[in-house]
Parts: sequence; C-alpha cells; structure tokens
Amino acid sequence: MVGLSEGEKEFIKGGIAQDLRSDGRKRYTYRPIYVETGVIPQANGSARVRLGATDVIASVKAELGKPSALQPDKGKVAIFIDCSPTADPTFVGRGGEELSAELSGALQHCLLGSKSGAGAGIDLSSLIVVEGKVCWDLYVDGLVISSDGNLLDALGAAIKAALSNTGIPSVHVAAGASNDEQPEVDISDEEFLQFDTSGVPVIVTLTKVGKHYIVDATSEEESQMSSAVSISINRKGHICGMTKRGGSGIDPSVILDMISVANFVSRQLIEKLDSEISAAEANEDESL
Amino acid sequence: MRNLQLSLNQTQKIRLQSALEKLESLSSKSNANSVVTVADSILIYEEGILKGHGTLDRKGELVATVCGVVERINKLIYVRSLRSRYKPETGDIVIGRVMEVAQKRWKLELNFTQDATLMLSSMNLPDGIQRRQTAVDELNMRSIFTENDLVCAEVRSSHNDGSLQLQARNQKYGKLEKGQLLTVNPYLVKRRKLHFHHLEQYGINLIIGCNGFIWVGEHVEVTDKMAVDQANDSEQQIGKCDQNSMDIDGPDGTFTPLKTRQNICRIANAVRVLSALGFSITMEVIMETVNFSKTMNLDIHEMLGSEFYVLVAESEAERRSATKRKR
Repeated sequence: MVGLSEGEKEFIKGGIAQDLRSDGRKRYTYRPIYVETGVIPQANGSARVRLGATDVIASVKAELGKPSALQPDKGKVAIFIDCSPTADPTFVGRGGEELSAELSGALQHCLLGSKSGAGAGIDLSSLIVVEGKVCWDLYVDGLVISSDGNLLDALGAAIKAALSNTGIPSVHVAAGASNDEQPEVDISDEEFLQFDTSGVPVIVTLTKVGKHYIVDATSEEESQMSSAVSISINRKGHICGMTKRGGSGIDPSVILDMISVANFVSRQLIEKLDSEISAAEANEDESL
Repeated sequence: MRNLQLSLNQTQKIRLQSALEKLESLSSKSNANSVVTVADSILIYEEGILKGHGTLDRKGELVATVCGVVERINKLIYVRSLRSRYKPETGDIVIGRVMEVAQKRWKLELNFTQDATLMLSSMNLPDGIQRRQTAVDELNMRSIFTENDLVCAEVRSSHNDGSLQLQARNQKYGKLEKGQLLTVNPYLVKRRKLHFHHLEQYGINLIIGCNGFIWVGEHVEVTDKMAVDQANDSEQQIGKCDQNSMDIDGPDGTFTPLKTRQNICRIANAVRVLSALGFSITMEVIMETVNFSKTMNLDIHEMLGSEFYVLVAESEAERRSATKRKR
C-alpha cells in the first residue's frame, strides 16, 4: 500500500463529506461487481468475484464425514481464508496470517452463527445424510488475489456465489445397516443436488470516515477510516452477524443508524448479486 | 485492453470487439514486417552496422533481446520496445512521491527502476530569496517536503548508472495538494510541448507526468511568497489553527467546492477509462471523453461502467477513421 500525502488525505475526506468520492461514487454506491462461477473445475463449487480492483476466489469442497456428537442432525462447514502474496508484498510467508485469521473469523461469525450451530446463515441440516452417522462436511476456502479494500464484502459475495454453484453428489445409503455400524454409502458421480442459497446472507461493510460512513471503501479510503462495521444481512432483512474493527469507539445511536443504512444497501446488493450470479451460471453453461 | 474486468453482456462484447478490430486495422501497417520478439533474428544486408539497444550479436547473427519494432537510423539498428518502464529524458515533467528524506536531498519514487533524487539545491528555498543554504535549511527539509508528499519536478539529468536527478526551480513545480493522483502505464503518455494544463473553465490543474503519474487537482494560486509573507504573517497563523480543527466540522469553504470536485472526478474517471482501454492519454482525448460523458448526462460513477467503455472505444475508432479519411 503506497502512502498518501496530506493533501490527498484531505481530498479523500472532503469527498466523503461532500458525498462525492474519488471515483465519482456516492457514499452508498458499490463498485461494479463482476462474478464468474465454476472457475475451479475440481471443486464442488467455486466462484471468482471482482469488486473494482479487489479480486477474490472462493471454492467449496464437500467430503463425507461424521457429524459432531452435540449436533447429530447438522452437517459441518469450515471457512478458511488465505491472502496470497500477489495481493500485497507484505503477505509473503507468514505476513498475511493476521489478516487471514481476522477475515476467517469474521466470515465464520457472519455466516455460521454460534458454536452450537444455532442461527447459521447456511442451512446445516440440509447437509445431513444419515442422522448421527454420516453428513457432508463443506470446506469453504477463500483466496485473496488482489486487494483494493472491502475484502469482507467481496469474500462474502464470492462464498455466496460458490455455494450457489456447488453441486453435492447424491448419496445412496445401503439399506439394512444396524444401528452401531457405519452404513455404506454410495456416492453417485452423475446426480447432483444444488445447494440452496436463498438463505445465505451478504455482508455489507460500512466504513466510518469523519462523521460519515461509506459503503465499499477502496484501500485508500480504508486508510483514513476511524472504524468499520461489517453486518451480514439475509434476504428477509434480518441480521445474521456483525463485526466491528478499528480502534475508535462508536456511539450506540450511530451503530443503530449504520444498521438501518446497511439494511437499505443490502437489498440492492442482494438483487445485484443474484442477477450477476445467474448471469455467470448462464455463461458457464454456455461455455461448457 | 488486457484484463478488462467488466461484465459485458453479449451485445456489448460484440460492439467492443468490432471497435477494437477497427482500430487495429487503422493502425499503420508499414511496420508489420519489422515487429520482432525475443530471439528473433534481425536481417541485415550491410557491413558496419552499429548494434543498438535491444540487440545482441550471437554467432555473427543479430538477434533481438526484447519484443518490439526494429528501428533504423543511418547505421544504427535498435529495437524499440513498446511496453516498458518509464524511460526518462532530460526535460521531462514527472510527478513523484517522496520516499525518503536524506542528507541534502529527497528521494522520489517515480515508477522507474530506481528512486530519483531531488537535491535541496535544486529547489527554491521557502522564503523565495536566492541565498546560500545553511545547516538550518538542511534541518528544515521536512517542512518543505515530508514523506509521502507528491512533488512535481523536471528531469535535470540521467546518469550512466541509471540514476536520475530532478529539479524544481520553477514556481509551477513543487508540492501537489487538493486533488488525486492516477497511475497509468508510462507508454501511454507521449511527449508533448505542454504537460501542465490549467483548465480555466473548471479551475482545475491537470498535470500529465511522463512517468505515467497523472495529477488532477484544484487550481491553487501561486503567490509570490515575499510580498505576501510580511502582510499576512499573523493572519496565516490564525488560518492554520482553523484548518486543524476543521476536520470534522469542515465548512465547504475549506474543502474543495462541489462543482470543482465533480469535474475533478469526471476527468479522473476519463483517464481511468482511457488507460484501461490502452489509448494514449493527451489533453484533447481526455476533454473529448469528458464532454462526451456530459452530453450523455452520465452519472460520474457510471463512467466506469461497461456501457461507457464500449462507447469510448467506438467513438475513438470513429475519430481515427475520420482523420484517416481526411488525409
């Protein structure tokens, strides 16, 4: 990240205060989103999302596993994010670990709910094969290729697109297995069940600069932020998770205002994202 | 033209493709035979040829070491590469970011292989009088330019080892504030007579640096420090205090006025579109693009949408074919 001179910083802050950012966007406008699905053929589902110069890839791999004893009727989902050195030279080796851990944690909170699995944005009970014995484990991996701010939103969108692109193979369970043994399962190569992603939330990050908040900050704007709140909202307008970063404190009334702004913005974002995802899937079908 | 990250629908893709093909067919074909890639051999028919940049003598054969066009001037044969880092020449106007404040000099980052040097002696001293520099001046260097400042300067000389010396002795060079910096590929900026553009009707300064850094900002009146200083000394101090506390409550007066800001953003977006499409950046093209977007009543941020890209490509193809027909 190159540094910014004082004059440039003033210009950015002034732009946000006057509702006209450096690239002409208003405070609540997103950059053009570009979605591509099926970029990794070996994975069960994958997607690449470009938000301006921010570029991320998400992939979903499904494997059969045993459900945890505490929730025998739910499958498991694990989310891991990796920051590639192509995004920033400081990410070489272990440099990107802090950011990766932060992003993974935030995404897990937003999409997976609490440790007990309650309140997850992704419907975990649809992943069960045989209750108590066999379930699907989804491993969601995200890779940050290029970073120009707003990584959390891009990763949230990529995961949503990858999940809608995911095909879980249908499983035939051998009949007549006793209660104690592991049942035999036959994974078909042909039939796939599309994962239901209508309940998957999107993440909207609001970055506070001065007195105003903006949506979809570039990395220059993020360098001027005092704090940022990321809210994941689903189609019904319910909040599925929230994270706050940044050292300065925010008044509770400001947080409530940010939530209502995020609600308003998320409706347009969900529509746009859904149309982009279906366009991407249509493109993928054509090219196949 | 590479990696255009836009979701173009089918018709837009076709239109863009046809516009780009039209532009390619319009470009001069005379050099088609002399385009070489690395390790292509260059045919020479005479003796006593001087082998210039980008060539290598391998077992008596002349071979190209870069991808580019073979050029010939009398007895000198060299390969001119098309896409490369900035190649400085004396007298170029460049914009650089201060990376380091060293002994009696500043080191600027210019999108070049090394950091360029701006000596303290190549700068006008802040009080404007021509005098010898003292040790106090050296200690106060940071008050002139500090780290991460943007500086506009002129190339004074480039040495054999590649190091670059800059000078900023003129009033129009110096620190850049109140605007934004855009980075484009250096080969898109051709050398012209004029790189400083003061757009009077908008009150905006547009500086097209030869190293690919382009500055769009509000026009700041260049005052004669000597005359102003004595009169406004106390006023200035009050002004500075106001500025520091104005951060949050900024009245529009201290921020850039909205109209100017809109024009700055429009021009910046025009440059972004042109650089993504790979067109040369000149004043005329930028202003044409801006006027085009205004006549279409496009929102400023829609200039970065796919429709506008396609339209700009098409209009450029039209313009070039029109100029070709006139010849």
